[in-house]
Amino acid sequence: MKTKKEQAETQSPSNSETTPETDASAVAAKKPNPVASFFSKIHSSLKNSSKETKQTLAYIGQRLILMLITFVAIFFICFILIRLLPVNADSGMKDPEIFYLNMVAQGRMEKVVDAAGKITYRNIPVFQQLWTFLGNLFTPGNPAPWGYSYKIEWLSSPADVLFKRLPPTVLINIYSMIVSIPLGILLGIYMALKKNKWQDHALSVLVMLFISVPSFVYAFLLQYLFSYVWQVLPAVRADASAGWFSPIMFRSMILPVLSMCFGSIAGFARYTRAELTEVLTSDFMLLARTKGLTRAQATVRHAFRNSLVPIFPMILGEIISVLSGSLIIENIFTVNGVGALFLESIQKRDYDVFQFVAMFYILIGLVGTLVVDVSYGLVDPRIRMGSEK
Amino acid sequence: MAQEMKNTSIASTGENIALSKDLFVRYKDEKDLHDQAFETKPVSYLADCFKRFAKNKASIVAAVIIFLITMYAIIVPLASPRTKVDKVTYPNGYMDNNFSYVLPYNSIFKGTGFWDGTKIETKSENDYQTMLYGDSNHSRFVKLLSTTETRIGPSVVKAYKIRVDTYAIGNKNVKLSPDKFNTLVAYEKDHSIYRAEKSIMKPLVDVESYLTKYRAEIVADGVVSSTADGIIDFMRTYYNQNSNVYFALSAKTSNGSYSQNRFSPILDSSGKPVDIYKRDSGNNLIYEELVSGEYNVRVDYFDYATYRDGFKPYFFFGTNDSGQDIFLRLAKGTQFSLLLGIGISAINFIIGLIWGAMSGYYGGTTDLIMERITDIIANIPSIIILSICSIQFTNNIALKAALGESGIIVLAFLVAFVYSGWVGVASTTRMQFYRFKGQEYVLASRTLGAKDGRLIFKHILPNAIGTLVTSSVLMIPGVIFSESSLSYLGIVNFSTSGLSSIGSLLNEGQAAGLQYYPHVLLFPCIIISLLMISFNLFGNGLRDAFNTSLKGSED
Repeated sequence: MKTKKEQAETQSPSNSETTPETDASAVAAKKPNPVASFFSKIHSSLKNSSKETKQTLAYIGQRLILMLITFVAIFFICFILIRLLPVNADSGMKDPEIFYLNMVAQGRMEKVVDAAGKITYRNIPVFQQLWTFLGNLFTPGNPAPWGYSYKIEWLSSPADVLFKRLPPTVLINIYSMIVSIPLGILLGIYMALKKNKWQDHALSVLVMLFISVPSFVYAFLLQYLFSYVWQVLPAVRADASAGWFSPIMFRSMILPVLSMCFGSIAGFARYTRAELTEVLTSDFMLLARTKGLTRAQATVRHAFRNSLVPIFPMILGEIISVLSGSLIIENIFTVNGVGALFLESIQKRDYDVFQFVAMFYILIGLVGTLVVDVSYGLVDPRIRMGSEK
Repeated sequence: MAQEMKNTSIASTGENIALSKDLFVRYKDEKDLHDQAFETKPVSYLADCFKRFAKNKASIVAAVIIFLITMYAIIVPLASPRTKVDKVTYPNGYMDNNFSYVLPYNSIFKGTGFWDGTKIETKSENDYQTMLYGDSNHSRFVKLLSTTETRIGPSVVKAYKIRVDTYAIGNKNVKLSPDKFNTLVAYEKDHSIYRAEKSIMKPLVDVESYLTKYRAEIVADGVVSSTADGIIDFMRTYYNQNSNVYFALSAKTSNGSYSQNRFSPILDSSGKPVDIYKRDSGNNLIYEELVSGEYNVRVDYFDYATYRDGFKPYFFFGTNDSGQDIFLRLAKGTQFSLLLGIGISAINFIIGLIWGAMSGYYGGTTDLIMERITDIIANIPSIIILSICSIQFTNNIALKAALGESGIIVLAFLVAFVYSGWVGVASTTRMQFYRFKGQEYVLASRTLGAKDGRLIFKHILPNAIGTLVTSSVLMIPGVIFSESSLSYLGIVNFSTSGLSSIGSLLNEGQAAGLQYYPHVLLFPCIIISLLMISFNLFGNGLRDAFNTSLKGSED
């Protein structure tokens, strides 16, 4: 908890400037947490050089603006592509009449009455639709700027549909993170310490296998063995009526979480091993040993903390991707989360939901990249963000 | 050397000393001194890379596995007898609904219970009895494994755990044209099995007259006529579904009451079932009936299929829902996936190379604009593009007519994967160009008046090509993986196109149900895992081999 707070402070340097320096060092002194003191060091170094802080802020601002521009461009492209898709109101729709009324009200179609008095609806040109959409979006009090879901949940807004599906996805991802990050890092450390011994070789083979083999393969394997052959764990996610944190729900989430973990653990282990082996051979480690530190002291105090620097942004990226979830794992274990919603919206051709979920995915992807990039510079003072040369 | 010595002596003493020539001895007694010629042969860059690659055992194994899978994907569709079946009988390629979901069979393991087309089933007393008797040439019953008895109230219910042969599908009623019927008769006579014990054609069964007789019997026994109708209806369905059953069935249970849906064979005094074959007035068995120009015959289906196709209907990887050979379909699917992977990687490589080269070589504003475009493209997931393409193309009638079902699928994949796939190659190329464009040899060439094209293609690109080729090799498994995940999720619908990919087979396997028919899912999973592992190992091996800085580091 403490580390997160510290990190939040470093991320908003305007706030940190008013905080007295003693505060940060007091925290570090009270609790000799290596990561906390590490952050407090960055903290003070940021404060000491206001030029750097400004540079960092400018960099973050610049990246944010670039991200916004990219997002808007992507949104326009996706909007046009999705609005060009053929609309089939007759299949699986409760009341096509209301659908057409809404389409006309939102400026997406126009009513055409031909000479025989027959009513048909015609698409309005896409760019005109885009203009109307933007107008609607910035008109306060507009009930549904993002349209409605017509096939998944009759006439509810895409945002509501999406938020209803978030809990299972987020839960499964968080469980998988809680298991895989510590395990992966520990495994990586062990491998690095046993470098080129049989333990390292054996684990490397395993890590390589788990990274290469697609996650759905071991999802199938786990489901087959645990649910069908031994019948110890449920094959599909439990009903939400039992509550998100009930034991039944937890039990039914074990298999999807496990299948997501394997790849993730292997990824973290490989990365940690690579980083740590590089740090272990660097000169300052030799210096630490010559100073008289034991191997354990040198490893924990110098090597491990340095090797964590590039791993930390990776963890941050993972935290943000919690929201997006895995399409395949959700499909296999019928988790019915965001991934399932995305698939459902394609299969049922519920375009407004499809557009909303697609933009949600894209936004998460963009924010994730931004946070990872920015945090590289924040955790590692050697990286000067946005510097010219 | 002499000169140097002279100078130092001067320097140390600070005065001029005259040195005579005899003070010096020649180092070697030769007139001219030359550099020594290399005793070893020079090693070219590629040979060196290959040597390093050959040292990496895992990569070699991976290369062999990739080669074997490729051979499987090429040879099986060409050589399998199932591809040569005539187009009239099988317009959509070999499939036989009667062999739906038979298990993998390999003659090496015959009788072992593993990979021999058998599975374990639990049968009730009645089903077990019925299974034991049959006039098929192949018995479904292989081995009785165990019997369990459970007491439910006063009666004891027996359950039999038996190993059954999934290929012994028994006898089926088929309709044959007179031509086909005569050829079958001729075939049977040739092999002297005509109306003999192992004949393909079996005597017809007279179900209807037995059912009439049996109904009268049970009504006489005191069963209400509506209940009797129900029993007879169930029995008729049972006979229709199990063309293997040629004997009289009884619905009477052990405690004297009548069961609606559980039937057991009626045995005669010698313990053999009472047959209900159709007989003519001379009490001879009837084997065929000519009804409206077609012969109704009852055949042992396994032997009939062997006769019809010219090969035994054994399936190495089993079959799917519609009785298609998974071994053949997987080979075709792997072929499609590999071709797609290699083709798309090649296209992406070329586009990425050109884009990255321009962006990296010109730099500045050009680079900035190109990078922004790349940024936008890379951030739209290909799954969104693929879904949009898939819906758009399948609804486009003109396109469908021009390309056909399979053409649309290929086009959708091409657009979705080429659309953003080249971004990785472009950024690698850009980095390489940034690395090399400022080096002295490029400057020298530029000073001598070389044009941009020459600098890019003759000077910079050859230096970067090693890194680029390896990164594009690693792109192939990426494409295969994305393709299989997306077709597994059913975003692209393969069902009506006649095409198959590893992903579409995975989709089929999940539809079949992992619980009941795991073999449909097993083999595509194995192939894709092997492909992923070996392509990754192979790619890593290539990367290390092309990385000159690793030279000698592992010796």
